[in-house]
Amino acid sequence: MSDLVRATDLLGRPVVTLGGEDVALVKDIVFASPGGRILGFTLAGRGAFAGPLSQALPWKLVHGAGRDAIMIDDGALPTRDALADRSEVHDGEVLGDVVLTDTGTALGTVTDVIVELGTEPRVVGYEIRTSEALPPAGRVGLIPLPDTMAASGEAVVVPAAITKHMADDLAAFGATVASFRARQGSTR
Amino acid sequence: MTRYSGIHGLGIVDTGNATTVARVDGIIIDPVTATVVAIEARAGRSHSAVHWPDIAGFGDAVTVASPGAIRPADGRAAELRGARHDLLRKRVLTDAGDEIGRVVDIDFDPRTGTVTGLVTDNGTVDGARLMGCGSYAVVVRGR
Repeated sequence: MSDLVRATDLLGRPVVTLGGEDVALVKDIVFASPGGRILGFTLAGRGAFAGPLSQALPWKLVHGAGRDAIMIDDGALPTRDALADRSEVHDGEVLGDVVLTDTGTALGTVTDVIVELGTEPRVVGYEIRTSEALPPAGRVGLIPLPDTMAASGEAVVVPAAITKHMADDLAAFGATVASFRARQGSTR
Repeated sequence: MTRYSGIHGLGIVDTGNATTVARVDGIIIDPVTATVVAIEARAGRSHSAVHWPDIAGFGDAVTVASPGAIRPADGRAAELRGARHDLLRKRVLTDAGDEIGRVVDIDFDPRTGTVTGLVTDNGTVDGARLMGCGSYAVVVRGR
């Protein structure tokens, strides 16, 4: 079973060295592009008055990302410039986008990004709040991310057949992603 | 195997003159080697340490062979002394980033000083898994 998490669940998680020191909090997640790999995290300091840090955490320096902390080796972190010019999840690049099928139906809006952790973490799906097209409207659904899709910053376009691969929660979503990928592979 | 709670508060007895010279007040552990480097000793308001090589035995008292065994911490013991490196009561994180409990006690081999187990409120973790201990957490290897 893979480790699937909501991107927003990673925000605010402590960044802890293997020596047991908490050095920062996750401020934002930096993606390579919509639907892409996680490049890393921007960081905030610890404590009530701590603001954004000038350092960032590239994924390749992450030792482990778990339920309670992001673990890193001891050592210096590079500056944020190492991750610059990328879309951050909080920039509204994806969150709030309308999910539109290729046949023109608005399925809902993106409320979160589902990330598969591991050595090559990547976005595997979106959490959406459904429109009337997926009654009852306003419920939360998880849809897998197609290998190729168009995203503009206002909408993401997905195959209409994606509605057959919707899950209600993360526990069920792992299997949904696996079957959706198998299906995409077989049609090519 | 000795459990730290079993020696906390015990007298530290100088076998040369059979007197209790201090009491056990803490344990200093090197998380990298998973060994006890010293026992913290308290005599009244005075805090000092008994370094591992100076400990003669653990029993109904901790014995030392000379009064000079009770002295200020030095070397690795001095570096690791204090709240930042104290394992007790700290959360335990795996190197995968999952919290698995909080340290409530420490088991060690009284002959070698090897930490054999971290007793948590959620079961005992093999001392060999110990990787680090800082102000935020004790970090252990594996799941």
